[in-house]
Amino acid sequence: MSIRRILAMVIRHMYLWPKSFERLMGTLGWPFLELTIWGLTMSYLQSNLMNSVSLVTVFLGGLIFWQFVTRTEVETALNFLEEVWNKNLINIFASPLTKAEFLISTVISNLIKLSFTASMLTLVSWFFYQFNILKTFGFLIPFILINLFLTGWIVSFFVIGMVLRFGYKAQELAWAITLLVQPFSCVFYPLSALPTWAQNIAKFFPTSYVFEEMRRFLYEGSINKSNLLFAFLLNLTYLIISIWFFSMMFEKAREHGRLVKLN
Amino acid sequence: MDILTVKNLTKKFGKFTAVNNISFSLREGEILGLLGPNGAGKTTTIQMLLGVLTPTQGEVKYFNKSLQDNREEILEKVNFSSTYTQLPWLLTVEENLTYTSYLYKIKDRKQRVKKLIEAFRLKKLIKEQMKELSSGEVTRVNLAKAFINYPKVLLLDEPTASLDPETSDYIRKFLIKERNQFNFSIIWTSHNMAEVEEVCDRVVFINHGKIIADDTPEKLAKTIEVCHVVLNVPDGLKRTVEIC
Repeated sequence: MSIRRILAMVIRHMYLWPKSFERLMGTLGWPFLELTIWGLTMSYLQSNLMNSVSLVTVFLGGLIFWQFVTRTEVETALNFLEEVWNKNLINIFASPLTKAEFLISTVISNLIKLSFTASMLTLVSWFFYQFNILKTFGFLIPFILINLFLTGWIVSFFVIGMVLRFGYKAQELAWAITLLVQPFSCVFYPLSALPTWAQNIAKFFPTSYVFEEMRRFLYEGSINKSNLLFAFLLNLTYLIISIWFFSMMFEKAREHGRLVKLN
Repeated sequence: MDILTVKNLTKKFGKFTAVNNISFSLREGEILGLLGPNGAGKTTTIQMLLGVLTPTQGEVKYFNKSLQDNREEILEKVNFSSTYTQLPWLLTVEENLTYTSYLYKIKDRKQRVKKLIEAFRLKKLIKEQMKELSSGEVTRVNLAKAFINYPKVLLLDEPTASLDPETSDYIRKFLIKERNQFNFSIIWTSHNMAEVEEVCDRVVFINHGKIIADDTPEKLAKTIEVCHVVLNVPDGLKRTVEIC
Protein backbone atom coordinates (compact mmCIF):
# COMPACT_ATOMS: atom_id res chain seq x y z
CA MET A 1 0.00 0.00 0.00
CA SER A 2 1.50 3.32 -1.05
CA ILE A 3 0.14 6.67 0.18
CA ARG A 4 2.02 8.39 -2.66
CA ARG A 5 0.18 6.40 -5.33
CA ILE A 6 -3.15 7.03 -3.60
CA LEU A 7 -2.22 10.73 -3.59
CA ALA A 8 -1.47 10.50 -7.32
CA MET A 9 -5.01 9.45 -8.09
CA VAL A 10 -6.49 12.01 -5.69
CA ILE A 11 -4.48 14.73 -7.46
CA ARG A 12 -5.71 13.42 -10.82
CA HIS A 13 -9.34 13.86 -9.78
CA MET A 14 -8.76 17.18 -8.05
CA TYR A 15 -7.27 18.50 -11.30
CA LEU A 16 -10.37 17.41 -13.18
CA TRP A 17 -13.03 18.50 -10.69
CA PRO A 18 -13.07 22.29 -11.20
CA LYS A 19 -12.79 21.86 -14.98
CA SER A 20 -15.74 19.57 -15.47
CA PHE A 21 -19.10 21.32 -15.41
CA GLU A 22 -20.89 17.99 -14.96
CA ARG A 23 -18.80 17.12 -11.93
CA LEU A 24 -19.27 20.55 -10.35
CA MET A 25 -23.00 20.28 -10.94
CA GLY A 26 -22.95 16.87 -9.32
CA THR A 27 -21.13 18.12 -6.24
CA LEU A 28 -22.92 21.44 -5.77
CA GLY A 29 -25.55 22.10 -8.44
CA TRP A 30 -27.92 19.11 -8.17
CA PRO A 31 -27.88 18.88 -4.37
CA PHE A 32 -28.60 22.63 -4.25
CA LEU A 33 -31.51 22.31 -6.67
CA GLU A 34 -32.97 19.34 -4.85
CA LEU A 35 -32.75 21.12 -1.53
CA THR A 36 -34.36 24.23 -3.03
CA ILE A 37 -37.26 22.39 -4.66
CA TRP A 38 -38.09 20.15 -1.73
CA GLY A 39 -37.34 22.80 0.85
CA LEU A 40 -39.83 25.17 -0.73
CA THR A 41 -42.42 22.44 -1.04
CA MET A 42 -42.05 21.54 2.61
CA SER A 43 -42.15 25.17 3.70
CA TYR A 44 -45.44 25.54 1.89
CA LEU A 45 -46.83 22.35 3.46
CA GLN A 46 -45.62 23.37 6.90
CA SER A 47 -47.38 26.70 6.69
CA ASN A 48 -50.60 24.81 6.02
CA LEU A 49 -50.18 22.26 8.80
CA MET A 50 -50.20 22.31 12.57
CA ASN A 51 -46.95 23.70 13.95
CA SER A 52 -46.55 20.79 16.35
CA VAL A 53 -45.37 18.60 13.48
CA SER A 54 -41.78 19.48 12.57
CA LEU A 55 -42.29 18.26 9.03
CA VAL A 56 -39.68 20.53 7.52
CA THR A 57 -37.04 19.38 10.00
CA VAL A 58 -37.81 15.72 9.38
CA PHE A 59 -37.92 16.15 5.66
CA LEU A 60 -34.87 18.39 5.31
CA GLY A 61 -32.90 16.15 7.67
CA GLY A 62 -33.79 13.16 5.49
CA LEU A 63 -33.12 15.07 2.30
CA ILE A 64 -29.70 16.32 3.36
CA PHE A 65 -28.57 13.02 4.79
CA TRP A 66 -29.81 11.14 1.72
CA GLN A 67 -27.65 13.41 -0.42
CA PHE A 68 -24.64 11.90 1.33
CA VAL A 69 -25.60 8.42 0.14
CA THR A 70 -26.36 9.60 -3.42
CA ARG A 71 -23.32 11.85 -3.84
CA THR A 72 -20.98 9.29 -2.25
CA GLU A 73 -22.20 6.59 -4.60
CA VAL A 74 -22.36 8.68 -7.78
CA GLU A 75 -19.05 10.48 -7.25
CA THR A 76 -17.15 7.30 -6.41
CA ALA A 77 -18.58 5.45 -9.40
CA LEU A 78 -17.88 8.46 -11.63
CA ASN A 79 -14.23 8.50 -10.58
CA PHE A 80 -14.01 5.05 -12.11
CA LEU A 81 -16.16 5.89 -15.13
CA GLU A 82 -13.93 8.90 -15.85
CA GLU A 83 -11.05 6.46 -16.32
CA VAL A 84 -13.19 4.31 -18.59
CA TRP A 85 -14.36 7.27 -20.72
CA ASN A 86 -10.81 8.61 -20.94
CA LYS A 87 -9.45 5.16 -21.87
CA ASN A 88 -7.09 5.70 -18.96
CA LEU A 89 -7.52 2.38 -17.15
CA ILE A 90 -4.53 0.89 -18.96
CA ASN A 91 -2.33 3.85 -17.99
CA ILE A 92 -3.09 3.64 -14.29
CA PHE A 93 -3.13 -0.13 -13.99
CA ALA A 94 0.06 -0.56 -16.01
CA SER A 95 1.65 1.43 -13.17
CA PRO A 96 2.32 -0.06 -9.72
CA LEU A 97 -1.08 1.21 -8.51
CA THR A 98 -3.02 -1.60 -6.82
CA LYS A 99 -6.77 -2.23 -6.76
CA ALA A 100 -6.93 -1.32 -3.07
CA GLU A 101 -5.03 1.93 -3.65
CA PHE A 102 -7.37 2.79 -6.48
CA LEU A 103 -10.45 2.25 -4.30
CA ILE A 104 -8.97 4.25 -1.43
CA SER A 105 -8.08 7.12 -3.77
CA THR A 106 -11.66 7.26 -5.08
CA VAL A 107 -12.96 7.32 -1.50
CA ILE A 108 -10.59 10.16 -0.52
CA SER A 109 -11.43 12.20 -3.65
CA ASN A 110 -15.07 11.62 -2.83
CA LEU A 111 -14.66 12.80 0.78
CA ILE A 112 -12.94 16.01 -0.35
CA LYS A 113 -15.79 16.82 -2.73
CA LEU A 114 -18.45 15.82 -0.20
CA SER A 115 -17.04 18.28 2.32
CA PHE A 116 -17.97 21.01 -0.17
CA THR A 117 -21.42 19.49 -0.76
CA ALA A 118 -22.01 19.25 3.00
CA SER A 119 -20.92 22.84 3.63
CA MET A 120 -23.15 24.13 0.85
CA LEU A 121 -26.20 22.15 2.02
CA THR A 122 -25.68 23.23 5.63
CA LEU A 123 -25.41 26.90 4.68
CA VAL A 124 -28.32 26.88 2.23
CA SER A 125 -30.69 25.04 4.57
CA TRP A 126 -29.77 27.42 7.40
CA PHE A 127 -30.04 30.54 5.25
CA PHE A 128 -33.25 29.71 3.39
CA TYR A 129 -35.16 27.52 5.85
CA GLN A 130 -33.57 28.43 9.19
CA PHE A 131 -32.72 24.77 9.56
CA ASN A 132 -29.43 24.31 11.40
CA ILE A 133 -28.51 20.68 10.83
CA LEU A 134 -25.46 20.88 13.10
CA LYS A 135 -27.52 22.17 16.03
CA THR A 136 -30.44 19.86 15.31
CA PHE A 137 -28.52 16.59 15.20
CA GLY A 138 -25.33 17.53 17.11
CA PHE A 139 -23.40 14.49 18.36
CA LEU A 140 -25.49 12.14 16.21
CA ILE A 141 -24.05 13.45 12.94
CA PRO A 142 -20.82 11.39 12.86
CA PHE A 143 -22.74 8.17 13.63
CA ILE A 144 -25.22 8.89 10.87
CA LEU A 145 -22.61 9.98 8.34
CA ILE A 146 -20.26 7.03 8.76
CA ASN A 147 -23.14 4.68 8.02
CA LEU A 148 -24.34 6.69 5.03
CA PHE A 149 -20.82 6.98 3.57
CA LEU A 150 -20.33 3.25 3.92
CA THR A 151 -23.60 2.54 2.14
CA GLY A 152 -22.62 4.93 -0.69
CA TRP A 153 -19.23 3.26 -1.13
CA ILE A 154 -20.71 -0.24 -0.99
CA VAL A 155 -23.21 0.58 -3.75
CA SER A 156 -20.55 2.31 -5.87
CA PHE A 157 -18.11 -0.61 -5.60
CA PHE A 158 -20.94 -2.86 -6.74
CA VAL A 159 -21.65 -0.51 -9.69
CA ILE A 160 -17.95 -0.42 -10.65
CA GLY A 161 -17.90 -4.22 -10.57
CA MET A 162 -20.96 -4.33 -12.81
CA VAL A 163 -19.37 -1.90 -15.30
CA LEU A 164 -16.23 -4.05 -15.36
CA ARG A 165 -18.39 -7.07 -16.06
CA PHE A 166 -20.97 -5.66 -18.50
CA GLY A 167 -19.21 -2.60 -19.93
CA TYR A 168 -20.87 0.67 -20.92
CA LYS A 169 -24.38 -0.72 -20.77
CA ALA A 170 -24.08 -0.96 -16.99
CA GLN A 171 -22.91 2.62 -16.49
CA GLU A 172 -26.48 3.93 -16.11
CA LEU A 173 -26.52 2.11 -12.77
CA ALA A 174 -24.21 4.81 -11.41
CA TRP A 175 -27.11 7.28 -11.45
CA ALA A 176 -30.07 4.95 -11.12
CA ILE A 177 -29.12 2.50 -8.41
CA THR A 178 -29.74 4.83 -5.45
CA LEU A 179 -33.32 5.23 -6.69
CA LEU A 180 -33.72 1.51 -6.11
CA VAL A 181 -32.19 1.74 -2.65
CA GLN A 182 -34.15 4.81 -1.56
CA PRO A 183 -37.65 3.31 -1.11
CA PHE A 184 -36.28 0.67 1.29
CA SER A 185 -34.18 3.21 3.15
CA CYS A 186 -37.27 4.91 4.60
CA VAL A 187 -35.73 8.35 4.11
CA PHE A 188 -38.94 10.39 4.27
CA TYR A 189 -41.36 8.01 5.99
CA PRO A 190 -41.17 5.52 8.85
CA LEU A 191 -40.51 1.83 8.32
CA SER A 192 -44.07 1.11 9.46
CA ALA A 193 -45.39 3.03 6.45
CA LEU A 194 -44.12 0.29 4.14
CA PRO A 195 -46.14 -2.84 3.36
CA THR A 196 -45.01 -5.88 5.34
CA TRP A 197 -43.11 -7.51 2.48
CA ALA A 198 -41.19 -4.26 1.89
CA GLN A 199 -40.50 -3.89 5.61
CA ASN A 200 -38.86 -7.32 5.56
CA ILE A 201 -36.61 -6.21 2.70
CA ALA A 202 -35.88 -2.84 4.32
CA LYS A 203 -34.48 -4.61 7.38
CA PHE A 204 -31.53 -5.66 5.21
CA PHE A 205 -30.78 -2.02 4.33
CA PRO A 206 -28.52 -0.29 6.88
CA THR A 207 -29.93 3.07 5.82
CA SER A 208 -33.42 2.16 7.07
CA TYR A 209 -32.06 1.94 10.65
CA VAL A 210 -30.17 5.22 10.25
CA PHE A 211 -33.24 7.18 9.09
CA GLU A 212 -35.45 5.56 11.70
CA GLU A 213 -33.03 6.71 14.39
CA MET A 214 -32.83 10.17 12.84
CA ARG A 215 -36.61 10.51 13.18
CA ARG A 216 -36.65 9.00 16.68
CA PHE A 217 -34.07 11.60 17.71
CA LEU A 218 -36.19 14.43 16.30
CA TYR A 219 -39.46 13.24 17.83
CA GLU A 220 -38.27 11.72 21.10
CA GLY A 221 -34.85 13.32 21.65
CA SER A 222 -33.23 9.90 22.12
CA ILE A 223 -31.77 7.13 19.98
CA ASN A 224 -31.52 3.37 20.07
CA LYS A 225 -27.74 2.87 19.93
CA SER A 226 -28.03 -0.80 19.12
CA ASN A 227 -29.88 0.03 15.90
CA LEU A 228 -27.05 2.28 14.71
CA LEU A 229 -24.50 -0.34 15.72
CA PHE A 230 -26.43 -2.99 13.84
CA ALA A 231 -26.55 -0.72 10.77
CA PHE A 232 -22.77 -0.28 11.05
CA LEU A 233 -22.15 -4.04 11.30
CA LEU A 234 -24.47 -4.64 8.36
CA ASN A 235 -22.53 -2.01 6.40
CA LEU A 236 -19.20 -3.63 7.28
CA THR A 237 -20.47 -7.00 6.10
CA TYR A 238 -21.71 -5.53 2.81
CA LEU A 239 -18.46 -3.56 2.41
CA ILE A 240 -16.42 -6.75 2.56
CA ILE A 241 -18.76 -8.39 0.03
CA SER A 242 -18.67 -5.35 -2.31
CA ILE A 243 -14.85 -5.18 -2.24
CA TRP A 244 -14.69 -8.89 -2.96
CA PHE A 245 -17.16 -8.44 -5.82
CA PHE A 246 -15.14 -5.53 -7.26
CA SER A 247 -11.93 -7.52 -6.98
CA MET A 248 -13.44 -10.55 -8.67
CA MET A 249 -14.90 -8.48 -11.53
CA PHE A 250 -11.59 -6.64 -11.91
CA GLU A 251 -9.70 -9.91 -12.32
CA LYS A 252 -12.34 -11.16 -14.77
CA ALA A 253 -11.93 -7.91 -16.73
CA ARG A 254 -8.15 -8.39 -16.74
CA GLU A 255 -8.63 -11.93 -18.02
CA HIS A 256 -11.12 -11.03 -20.77
CA GLY A 257 -9.32 -7.88 -21.91
CA ARG A 258 -11.99 -5.47 -20.69
CA LEU A 259 -9.46 -3.55 -18.62
CA VAL A 260 -7.80 -2.38 -21.82
CA LYS A 261 -10.89 -2.24 -24.00
CA LEU A 262 -14.12 -1.72 -22.14
CA ASN A 263 -17.13 -1.22 -24.34
CA MET B 1 21.83 -10.56 -19.31
CA ASP B 2 18.13 -11.16 -19.95
CA ILE B 3 15.99 -8.48 -18.37
CA LEU B 4 12.70 -9.91 -19.58
CA THR B 5 11.85 -13.52 -20.31
CA VAL B 6 8.64 -14.60 -21.96
CA LYS B 7 7.92 -18.32 -21.85
CA ASN B 8 5.14 -20.14 -23.71
CA LEU B 9 2.87 -17.10 -23.58
CA THR B 10 -0.63 -17.79 -24.89
CA LYS B 11 -3.77 -15.69 -24.95
CA LYS B 12 -7.10 -17.10 -26.05
CA PHE B 13 -10.36 -15.17 -26.30
CA GLY B 14 -12.93 -17.94 -26.48
CA LYS B 15 -11.98 -20.03 -29.49
CA PHE B 16 -9.75 -17.33 -30.97
CA THR B 17 -6.06 -17.57 -30.16
CA ALA B 18 -4.53 -14.08 -30.26
CA VAL B 19 -1.09 -15.11 -29.04
CA ASN B 20 0.00 -18.68 -29.51
CA ASN B 21 2.73 -20.11 -27.30
CA ILE B 22 5.40 -17.48 -27.88
CA SER B 23 8.75 -17.35 -26.11
CA PHE B 24 11.43 -14.69 -26.38
CA SER B 25 13.75 -12.67 -24.21
CA LEU B 26 14.94 -9.08 -23.98
CA ARG B 27 18.52 -8.29 -23.05
CA GLU B 28 19.74 -5.38 -21.00
CA GLY B 29 20.13 -2.30 -23.22
CA GLU B 30 18.60 -4.04 -26.21
CA ILE B 31 15.97 -2.63 -28.55
CA LEU B 32 13.79 -5.52 -29.63
CA GLY B 33 11.37 -5.05 -32.48
CA LEU B 34 8.06 -6.87 -32.41
CA LEU B 35 7.20 -6.83 -36.05
CA GLY B 36 4.04 -8.03 -37.70
CA PRO B 37 0.93 -7.05 -39.61
CA ASN B 38 -2.23 -5.67 -37.98
CA GLY B 39 -3.91 -8.29 -35.82
CA ALA B 40 -0.73 -10.34 -35.48
CA GLY B 41 -0.87 -10.26 -31.67
CA LYS B 42 1.68 -7.50 -30.96
CA THR B 43 -0.58 -5.30 -28.83
CA THR B 44 -2.01 -8.29 -26.97
CA THR B 45 1.54 -9.35 -26.14
CA ILE B 46 2.39 -5.84 -24.87
CA GLN B 47 -0.75 -5.83 -22.72
CA MET B 48 0.27 -9.13 -21.14
CA LEU B 49 3.78 -7.77 -20.57
CA LEU B 50 2.21 -4.82 -18.72
CA GLY B 51 0.07 -7.06 -16.54
CA VAL B 52 -3.23 -5.53 -17.70
CA LEU B 53 -4.21 -8.70 -19.52
CA THR B 54 -3.94 -12.11 -17.88
CA PRO B 55 -2.31 -14.74 -20.09
CA THR B 56 -4.22 -17.95 -20.66
CA GLN B 57 -0.96 -19.76 -20.30
CA GLY B 58 2.73 -19.01 -19.93
CA GLU B 59 4.95 -16.83 -17.84
CA VAL B 60 6.39 -13.31 -17.94
CA LYS B 61 9.53 -12.64 -15.89
CA TYR B 62 11.27 -9.31 -15.47
CA PHE B 63 14.64 -9.16 -13.72
CA ASN B 64 14.22 -12.90 -13.09
CA LYS B 65 11.04 -12.29 -11.08
CA SER B 66 7.52 -13.32 -12.03
CA LEU B 67 5.33 -10.38 -13.05
CA GLN B 68 2.30 -12.01 -11.50
CA ASP B 69 3.90 -12.31 -8.07
CA ASN B 70 5.96 -9.11 -8.07
CA ARG B 71 3.70 -6.71 -9.98
CA GLU B 72 4.27 -3.54 -7.92
CA GLU B 73 8.05 -3.94 -7.70
CA ILE B 74 8.41 -4.69 -11.41
CA LEU B 75 6.06 -1.99 -12.71
CA GLU B 76 8.08 0.64 -10.81
CA LYS B 77 10.79 -0.02 -13.42
CA VAL B 78 8.62 -0.55 -16.48
CA ASN B 79 6.58 1.90 -18.54
CA PHE B 80 4.85 2.04 -21.87
CA SER B 81 3.48 4.26 -24.58
CA SER B 82 0.88 3.34 -27.11
CA THR B 83 -0.71 5.12 -30.01
CA TYR B 84 -3.94 3.39 -29.03
CA THR B 85 -4.27 4.75 -25.50
CA GLN B 86 -5.23 8.20 -24.29
CA LEU B 87 -4.56 10.35 -21.28
CA PRO B 88 -7.33 12.19 -19.38
CA TRP B 89 -8.43 14.76 -21.93
CA LEU B 90 -9.55 17.53 -19.58
CA LEU B 91 -6.21 17.57 -17.79
CA THR B 92 -3.38 19.69 -19.15
CA VAL B 93 -0.12 18.19 -20.34
CA GLU B 94 1.60 19.34 -17.16
CA GLU B 95 -1.16 17.98 -14.90
CA ASN B 96 -1.04 14.61 -16.63
CA LEU B 97 2.69 14.32 -16.19
CA THR B 98 2.50 15.56 -12.59
CA TYR B 99 -0.14 13.13 -11.39
CA THR B 100 1.57 10.27 -13.26
CA SER B 101 4.85 11.12 -11.52
CA TYR B 102 3.18 10.38 -8.17
CA LEU B 103 2.40 6.85 -9.32
CA TYR B 104 6.13 6.07 -9.24
CA LYS B 105 8.99 6.46 -6.78
CA ILE B 106 10.73 9.53 -8.15
CA LYS B 107 12.90 11.82 -6.07
CA ASP B 108 13.14 14.87 -8.31
CA ARG B 109 9.51 14.94 -9.44
CA LYS B 110 9.32 18.56 -10.61
CA GLN B 111 12.70 18.42 -12.32
CA ARG B 112 11.77 15.20 -14.06
CA VAL B 113 8.55 16.65 -15.46
CA LYS B 114 10.41 19.79 -16.56
CA LYS B 115 13.13 17.75 -18.27
CA LEU B 116 10.65 15.60 -20.15
CA ILE B 117 8.68 18.64 -21.26
CA GLU B 118 11.87 19.98 -22.82
CA ALA B 119 13.00 16.66 -24.27
CA PHE B 120 9.70 16.02 -26.02
CA ARG B 121 9.28 19.64 -27.17
CA LEU B 122 6.16 20.18 -25.09
CA LYS B 123 6.99 23.56 -23.58
CA LYS B 124 4.39 25.45 -25.57
CA LEU B 125 1.74 22.85 -24.76
CA ILE B 126 2.06 22.44 -20.99
CA LYS B 127 -1.06 24.45 -20.19
CA GLU B 128 -3.08 22.90 -23.02
CA GLN B 129 -5.70 20.29 -22.22
CA MET B 130 -5.14 16.95 -23.91
CA LYS B 131 -8.33 17.36 -25.95
CA GLU B 132 -6.77 20.40 -27.65
CA LEU B 133 -3.74 18.50 -28.93
CA SER B 134 -3.17 16.91 -32.32
CA SER B 135 -2.61 13.15 -32.44
CA GLY B 136 1.11 13.72 -32.95
CA GLU B 137 1.27 15.94 -29.88
CA VAL B 138 -0.67 13.37 -27.87
CA THR B 139 1.87 10.73 -28.90
CA ARG B 140 4.71 12.97 -27.67
CA VAL B 141 2.96 13.45 -24.30
CA ASN B 142 2.42 9.68 -24.10
CA LEU B 143 6.13 9.14 -24.72
CA ALA B 144 7.04 11.73 -22.09
CA LYS B 145 4.74 9.91 -19.66
CA ALA B 146 6.52 6.65 -20.50
CA PHE B 147 9.87 8.12 -19.45
CA ILE B 148 8.63 9.59 -16.16
CA ASN B 149 9.94 6.79 -13.91
CA TYR B 150 13.39 6.30 -15.52
CA PRO B 151 12.19 2.91 -16.84
CA LYS B 152 14.55 -0.03 -17.17
CA VAL B 153 12.16 -1.54 -19.69
CA LEU B 154 10.11 0.55 -22.07
CA LEU B 155 7.27 -1.00 -24.05
CA LEU B 156 6.39 1.07 -27.09
CA ASP B 157 3.35 0.08 -29.11
CA GLU B 158 3.73 1.67 -32.55
CA PRO B 159 5.16 4.83 -30.99
CA THR B 160 5.61 6.75 -34.22
CA ALA B 161 2.36 5.70 -35.92
CA SER B 162 0.71 9.12 -35.76
CA LEU B 163 3.79 11.31 -36.07
CA ASP B 164 4.94 13.27 -39.08
CA PRO B 165 8.22 12.06 -40.68
CA GLU B 166 10.32 14.80 -39.09
CA THR B 167 9.00 14.16 -35.56
CA SER B 168 9.23 10.38 -36.09
CA ASP B 169 12.87 10.77 -36.98
CA TYR B 170 13.47 13.01 -33.96
CA ILE B 171 11.75 10.52 -31.62
CA ARG B 172 13.71 7.56 -33.07
CA LYS B 173 17.01 9.39 -32.61
CA PHE B 174 16.00 10.56 -29.14
CA LEU B 175 15.13 7.02 -28.03
CA ILE B 176 18.38 5.58 -29.39
CA LYS B 177 20.39 8.34 -27.70
CA GLU B 178 18.60 7.80 -24.38
CA ARG B 179 19.10 4.05 -24.64
CA ASN B 180 22.81 4.52 -25.33
CA GLN B 181 23.12 6.85 -22.36
CA PHE B 182 21.01 5.01 -19.77
CA ASN B 183 21.22 1.44 -21.11
CA PHE B 184 17.53 0.63 -20.68
CA SER B 185 15.76 -1.94 -22.85
CA ILE B 186 12.96 -1.32 -25.30
CA ILE B 187 10.34 -3.46 -26.98
CA TRP B 188 9.16 -1.63 -30.06
CA THR B 189 6.14 -2.90 -31.94
CA SER B 190 5.70 -1.85 -35.52
CA HIS B 191 4.54 -3.05 -38.88
CA ASN B 192 7.15 -0.88 -40.57
CA MET B 193 10.24 -2.94 -41.44
CA ALA B 194 12.26 0.13 -42.42
CA GLU B 195 11.71 1.69 -39.00
CA VAL B 196 12.50 -1.52 -37.18
CA GLU B 197 15.66 -1.95 -39.23
CA GLU B 198 16.79 1.55 -38.29
CA VAL B 199 16.09 1.29 -34.58
CA CYS B 200 16.16 -2.32 -33.41
CA ASP B 201 19.05 -4.57 -32.50
CA ARG B 202 16.93 -7.67 -32.92
CA VAL B 203 13.52 -8.42 -34.39
CA VAL B 204 10.87 -10.93 -33.46
CA PHE B 205 8.49 -11.40 -36.37
CA ILE B 206 5.01 -12.34 -35.26
CA ASN B 207 2.06 -13.40 -37.40
CA HIS B 208 -1.29 -14.96 -36.42
CA GLY B 209 -0.06 -14.94 -32.82
CA LYS B 210 3.01 -17.06 -33.56
CA ILE B 211 6.67 -16.17 -33.75
CA ILE B 212 7.92 -16.98 -37.21
CA ALA B 213 11.37 -15.44 -36.96
CA ASP B 214 13.74 -14.08 -34.30
CA ASP B 215 16.93 -12.52 -35.58
CA THR B 216 18.80 -9.31 -36.34
CA PRO B 217 17.03 -7.04 -38.83
CA GLU B 218 19.71 -7.68 -41.47
CA LYS B 219 19.54 -11.48 -41.24
CA LEU B 220 15.77 -11.39 -41.02
CA ALA B 221 15.50 -9.36 -44.21
CA LYS B 222 17.53 -12.04 -45.99
CA THR B 223 15.51 -14.98 -44.68
CA ILE B 224 12.01 -13.69 -45.37
CA GLU B 225 10.82 -15.41 -48.50
CA VAL B 226 8.38 -12.81 -49.68
CA CYS B 227 8.95 -9.13 -49.42
CA HIS B 228 6.91 -6.19 -50.54
CA VAL B 229 8.74 -3.52 -52.46
CA VAL B 230 7.11 -0.18 -52.91
CA LEU B 231 7.96 1.39 -56.25
CA ASN B 232 7.41 5.06 -56.80
CA VAL B 233 7.10 5.37 -60.55
CA PRO B 234 7.44 8.67 -62.44
CA ASP B 235 3.68 9.08 -62.95
CA GLY B 236 3.41 9.55 -59.18
CA LEU B 237 1.39 6.41 -58.48
CA LYS B 238 2.51 4.07 -55.75
CA ARG B 239 2.67 0.46 -56.91
CA THR B 240 3.51 -2.62 -54.94
CA VAL B 241 5.36 -5.47 -56.54
CA GLU B 242 5.78 -8.76 -54.79
CA ILE B 243 9.07 -10.50 -55.39
CA CYS B 244 10.23 -13.88 -54.22
